[in-house]
Amino acid sequence: MTTSPDLVLSVHDLRKHFVLHSVDARRVDALNGIDLTVHAGEHVALAGSSGAGKSTLLKSIYRTYRPSSGSVQLTLRDNRVVDLTALSDAELAMLRGQEIGYVSQFLRAEPRRGALEIVARAGVRRGMSRDEARDAAAVALRRLNIDEMLWDVYASVLSGGEKQRVNLAAGTISPPRLLLLDEPVSALDPTNRDAALELIGELTAQGVAVLAVFHDLDAMERLATKVVLLRDGRVVSAGEPSVVLSELTGVAR
Amino acid sequence: MTIATPDWVLKVERLGKIYGPATQASLDDTGPAHGTSKSPATGAIVSAWDVSFEVAAGEALGVIGESGSGKSTVMRCIAGDQPATSGTVRLRSVADGDVNILDLDPARRRSLRVDHLSVVYQDPAEGLRLGVTAGGNVAEALTAAEWRHFGRIRDRAAELLARTEVPLVRMDDLVRTFSGGMRQRVQLAKALANNPPLVLLDEPTTGLDASVAAGVLDLIRNLLEELGIAAVVVSHDFAVIEMLTTRTIVMHHGRVVEAGLTDQLLEDPHHPYSQRLVAAARA
Repeated sequence: MTTSPDLVLSVHDLRKHFVLHSVDARRVDALNGIDLTVHAGEHVALAGSSGAGKSTLLKSIYRTYRPSSGSVQLTLRDNRVVDLTALSDAELAMLRGQEIGYVSQFLRAEPRRGALEIVARAGVRRGMSRDEARDAAAVALRRLNIDEMLWDVYASVLSGGEKQRVNLAAGTISPPRLLLLDEPVSALDPTNRDAALELIGELTAQGVAVLAVFHDLDAMERLATKVVLLRDGRVVSAGEPSVVLSELTGVAR
Repeated sequence: MTIATPDWVLKVERLGKIYGPATQASLDDTGPAHGTSKSPATGAIVSAWDVSFEVAAGEALGVIGESGSGKSTVMRCIAGDQPATSGTVRLRSVADGDVNILDLDPARRRSLRVDHLSVVYQDPAEGLRLGVTAGGNVAEALTAAEWRHFGRIRDRAAELLARTEVPLVRMDDLVRTFSGGMRQRVQLAKALANNPPLVLLDEPTTGLDASVAAGVLDLIRNLLEELGIAAVVVSHDFAVIEMLTTRTIVMHHGRVVEAGLTDQLLEDPHHPYSQRLVAAARA
């Protein structure tokens, strides 16, 4: 296999269909053969209207959805290449801790845990010592403007925007090699959104490979090094953000 | 294996438990496809069949299914509470996993419960003696492991009860006088007494008030994360499975119908039964 040295993620002919047994085993084709690559230090933004397959693609890569066919190749830190679709569940669970981060748009906080605890434990799962993780968690929360008064309050009672920032802090502590972001700033006010986008931009600059879904063009323009436009579970266009986004605005508006 | 994962602590292969004739005929007309675990032809009840899984140190595996799906049967066959009909169960801590513990003589089998595996039951009366004090129940586990010095036993029991958040002023009270949530905490203290590498939890919070269940669940979550032991969590409740486990198997009419990462089973269940189970939990 030939891969350029900094290739992190390579998705080939990825397909995902759902079979809904409660509705006469109806088949829903969500991804119809996706190809894309993400290199270290690259931020690839997925664009397209609702239902185009953006979140499905992220979840199929992370394997919250089990891909129906195709391959998802991840280059590990030690340069070995693994196909995420072919790994055992235990192997995948291990990689999720070490190499892949996923920040979802849904703000489901871990029950009965404070923000600092949630973020620190995410760091421990990535191999940090308990003390290191607590320090890093404090830095991350401060950076995302979470008031220190709230650090030990159950995260489930925080506001939507606060939860989203806790989520982002947990997903980016001890940065993974591949970061999957599904609308990570959708609930944030302009100031906090700005801080979150700046953080994501810095991670990319440090060499993290980012594959992201943002619903606003502004975030894509600011962060993306490449935009991939999806429609009906297919890639219809990919390339320079300015070029693809002008195409998208033509389509969407 | 491409990715280095911790070695299994518990390995279950093709475990089966049949009440009645253990024949092919009993298997042929039971299971999810037939909608029953009782064979119309032979009258046998196939409580569990062809159940296989592994659990590693620091990992919790969920077993989910409705009442009568066979999930508790699997747990009881592993624990030695019930004899299995077929299959193998291996523990890394017993002859480095070379022995099928189902073949051990009853005395040796019982001795595994001292420090190789422990069980937390839904009903505390199964795991504890209610007419004995909290400290006494924990001390029983320690004396079974050859602890002899009274002072040390008492110190260790106090340490374990503190760890499971049982107020020390209650240490010398009979478990019978304890609330349901407190009894579960005593069960946990006893289960962890001799640092077993494996803990089996059978509906550990079912039947408790919501707020009490939440406290016990949090305690279990913290203990599993901190002690790095392997755990099997049997529950009909997706909230419990989701909070405690990374991987899960789904049982229905005595068979495993699906296995996967817990988040995948919740968001992308494949088997018709798993889809119904998730839909019911999310409704």
